[in-house]
Amino acid sequence: MINLEERISEKKSFFNRLIIVYIFFAGLFLYFLYKTFLLQISSYTDYEIASLENKTREVLIQPRRGVIYDRNGNILVNNVPSFNLIINPSSIENIDDHLNEINQIINLTEDEENYAKENFSRLAKLNRELVLKKNLSTDERSRFKVRKYKFPNTFIDQRYSRENLYPFLFSHSLGYTGSPEESDLEEIFLNQNLKPKEMIFSYSNGYLIGKTGLEYTYDDFIRGRFGKKIFEVDASGKFLNELRVVDEINGKDLFTSLDLESQKVAYEQLNRRRGAVVAVDINTGAIVTYLSSPSFSVNKIANGMTQKEFKLLINDDDKPFFDRAAQGRYSPASTIKPAIALFGIENNIIDWDFTLDDPGYFILPEDGRIYRGWKKGGHGNINLNDAIIESSNTFFFSLAYKSEIEDLTKHLSNFGFGEIVCLDCFLPDSGLLPNPSWKMNNLNFGWFKGDTVNLGVGQGYMSATPIQLAYYASFLANKGELNKFSFVQDNDNKEVKKNIFLSNNIDENDWLKLHESMIGVIENPKGTAGRLRALKDYTIAAKSGTVELVSTETKEDYKIIREIEGQRDHAIIIAFGPMPNPKYAVSVVIENGESGGSVAGPVAIEVLNALLKK
Amino acid sequence: MKNLLNLRNKTIYFDKYLFISISLLSIMGLVFLYSASQANTVVVFKQSIFVLFGLLLMFFLSQPDPNFYKSNSLMFFGISIVLIVLTLLIGKEANGAKRWLDFGFFTLQSSEIIKITLPVFLAAYLYDKKLPISLLNTFITLIVILIIVNLVRIQPDLGTSLVILMSGIYILFLAGLSWKFIGFSSIAFILSLPFFWNNFLEPFQQQRILTLLDPSADPYGTGWNITQSKIAIGSGGLQGKGYQMGSQAHLDFLPETETDFIFSVIAEEFGFIGVCLLLTVFIFILLRCLYLALNARDRFCRLTIGGLSLIFLSTVLINLSMVVGIIPVVGMPLPFISKGGSSLLSFYIAFGIIISMASHKKLMQK
Repeated sequence: MINLEERISEKKSFFNRLIIVYIFFAGLFLYFLYKTFLLQISSYTDYEIASLENKTREVLIQPRRGVIYDRNGNILVNNVPSFNLIINPSSIENIDDHLNEINQIINLTEDEENYAKENFSRLAKLNRELVLKKNLSTDERSRFKVRKYKFPNTFIDQRYSRENLYPFLFSHSLGYTGSPEESDLEEIFLNQNLKPKEMIFSYSNGYLIGKTGLEYTYDDFIRGRFGKKIFEVDASGKFLNELRVVDEINGKDLFTSLDLESQKVAYEQLNRRRGAVVAVDINTGAIVTYLSSPSFSVNKIANGMTQKEFKLLINDDDKPFFDRAAQGRYSPASTIKPAIALFGIENNIIDWDFTLDDPGYFILPEDGRIYRGWKKGGHGNINLNDAIIESSNTFFFSLAYKSEIEDLTKHLSNFGFGEIVCLDCFLPDSGLLPNPSWKMNNLNFGWFKGDTVNLGVGQGYMSATPIQLAYYASFLANKGELNKFSFVQDNDNKEVKKNIFLSNNIDENDWLKLHESMIGVIENPKGTAGRLRALKDYTIAAKSGTVELVSTETKEDYKIIREIEGQRDHAIIIAFGPMPNPKYAVSVVIENGESGGSVAGPVAIEVLNALLKK
Repeated sequence: MKNLLNLRNKTIYFDKYLFISISLLSIMGLVFLYSASQANTVVVFKQSIFVLFGLLLMFFLSQPDPNFYKSNSLMFFGISIVLIVLTLLIGKEANGAKRWLDFGFFTLQSSEIIKITLPVFLAAYLYDKKLPISLLNTFITLIVILIIVNLVRIQPDLGTSLVILMSGIYILFLAGLSWKFIGFSSIAFILSLPFFWNNFLEPFQQQRILTLLDPSADPYGTGWNITQSKIAIGSGGLQGKGYQMGSQAHLDFLPETETDFIFSVIAEEFGFIGVCLLLTVFIFILLRCLYLALNARDRFCRLTIGGLSLIFLSTVLINLSMVVGIIPVVGMPLPFISKGGSSLLSFYIAFGIIISMASHKKLMQK
């Protein structure tokens, strides 16, 4: 028999224990509630995003790349549509039957069939499209169009590929496009706030970015912005429906300052010889002609060429990939003389009345070494004007001899030598403006007075690119005031860096006299480029140069070394016109062309003709 | 007595609080299930039949006097054991587990039945024993419990076997298991954990526990369920995405939406507010059970109501803790909400017994 007291204590014990368990569970329950609160309230945003990312899949829509125009509105680079045959796998039951039926209209290669078969079931499950065949011909397209009713799940869609309409004319200036590297894409996506898991490319060759030339430097501008289609997906990744479309923003068209006609002329004139032509609008600094020769087809590079073709180009001795205009280093030779003349006037070493007897050579007083001119017997008693027209070396040897090298290089840098003169050129070289510390650091030799003397005629260590020579010519033409070069017409939004020659002694009169002398190079009977007189019907100022690659004492010696083409002199000319109010300046370099006046000269004149015709 | 309805001189035993709240919960369950099953009317119809049957069953089971359960507890317990053994011998296999007995029209998960009959049996067994419970009786009951637990564990069904273990231990504890014993056995249990880990847990069960510790380590593998469940719950926010608008549930990111993870669907679609409302009903039922247990007419009723209500409480908490990632995924339904036959019916049975004990008052109290 259970007594009352026991029952009461038992009841109390039960009561206590049940409460203990309930309290324990209440604690657990509160912890659960706290966890739920954390999930639903505190971290709500994180989980909302996670849920959104779970159920949506963004598919990128590729923007159209901007068209590139020349300054007259001629299309230079365009996007050409190609037509692809596409099927919708999720609504096709048997791929083999389907391919057989398609094959009766449009021939599919074995590769194409295999690709379709391999990817069919995966794409069907995910409800994605499958490209059966790329680049359909017009014939294939019309054959399909007629029978389209038989294939409700098959369609033709337009995709774009990049085409340069003048593939050989603008190889180096416009450059070419290619598939982006993984890192390029990451950067682009980061820039455009995209986190794509997959994408649909509307270019047949996939997404393209600029690899060289303006395609590279203006890639941001002509690239555009990706659009996206946002699909709802289930856990398996299957597309359920389209939620939203953000339209792509096509790339902006690029209106360049390039001039198609003058470019054609330059290309024809150089005729695959090794060399470069650069012509510039001196008022704006806009590059109108830019050719490095020989060139190569940018379309082939961009759209795929065979290994063999590529090897041939890479191993070509003429190095067609090398951009001579921006990267080729040439001694300016006699073309430097106007700049040296200005140095003499600026520093009161000479004036226009100063005369000198030119016996055909200059003897360095320090060691008696002889520096020869190009004309045996010399030019006689000459002033600065004569020295420029006849290209007297002795005069400028002597002038350079009286110059301080540090002052001289500082002066020459005003003309763009040793500087980057172009704002949007692709990997431009800055040439070389030597000075004593450079020589010590690089050649481990001290500076000789003879080095300064050599600099006076643009020989020796100094080198410049054709683009720098064009800059130099423009600077002279514009009387010491110039914008940095650019390839685009509208210079307004660019940071225009006007380079102004600050001078104490050189006045308008000196500039006019200098122009007169350079006009004389062509017009004066004694001028070194007299042959050009007949090629034009307006006045041009010029200075020719001949770059000695191998130093020779006599004409006979040169005849021996010129047997090997690669040892022949380079031909150089800078020119600007029409005088007296010049509009364009041009520089021409023809490797191993031997004569600046008669080989490079005609090219420069023809380019100016083409530019001034309008 | 307000809990008795007198109809034509026949007494109807009834607890309106429990009856109404359980009916409410069942109806809410059907509504949630409709969304969780992607508007599958067949599933919901089947579940409605179970709910209707379950409510009727609960009603009928609350009519007999508690003495009926007390005197027949051994028989019920015996039948349950037979069913368990039968399951092991001729049970239907699914997903590598043998948990079901096929009766043609209904497949019975026998472990769900013993989950109820075991505590009733233990309460009856301890009814006339001297309390606090003696060491001998403790060992006898523990051995019985462990045998049953092990029979279920080898099906394998870790979740249910743990609940059965708990149901037995609750009764022992409520019956006054000495604190000293509890202390010693707890220490022994903790020390033997590595042994259990190595010998009693299947590799996938071990994996589930490891996953719990760091679900992000393998979000697409074993951590998938927990990760997706958390996303579903978290993205519900305060107000939820709206009925049938849960993307996690409806786009198949969430697994087992009709059973284990139905709470995640509710949390996603009805938000924190919906969660709190749902929990209020559960809390109401539990507090009512607590009240009834404390006011039960004798020891048998006390122990039974206490034990059964704690099983209910444990099941709810295990499910909830599982879906928010507090404990590993063990496969535990949310009572009255999740789809299911046996587990659903077992709780109607349990509450039928509870109501019987609550509404039959002994004339001579104390």
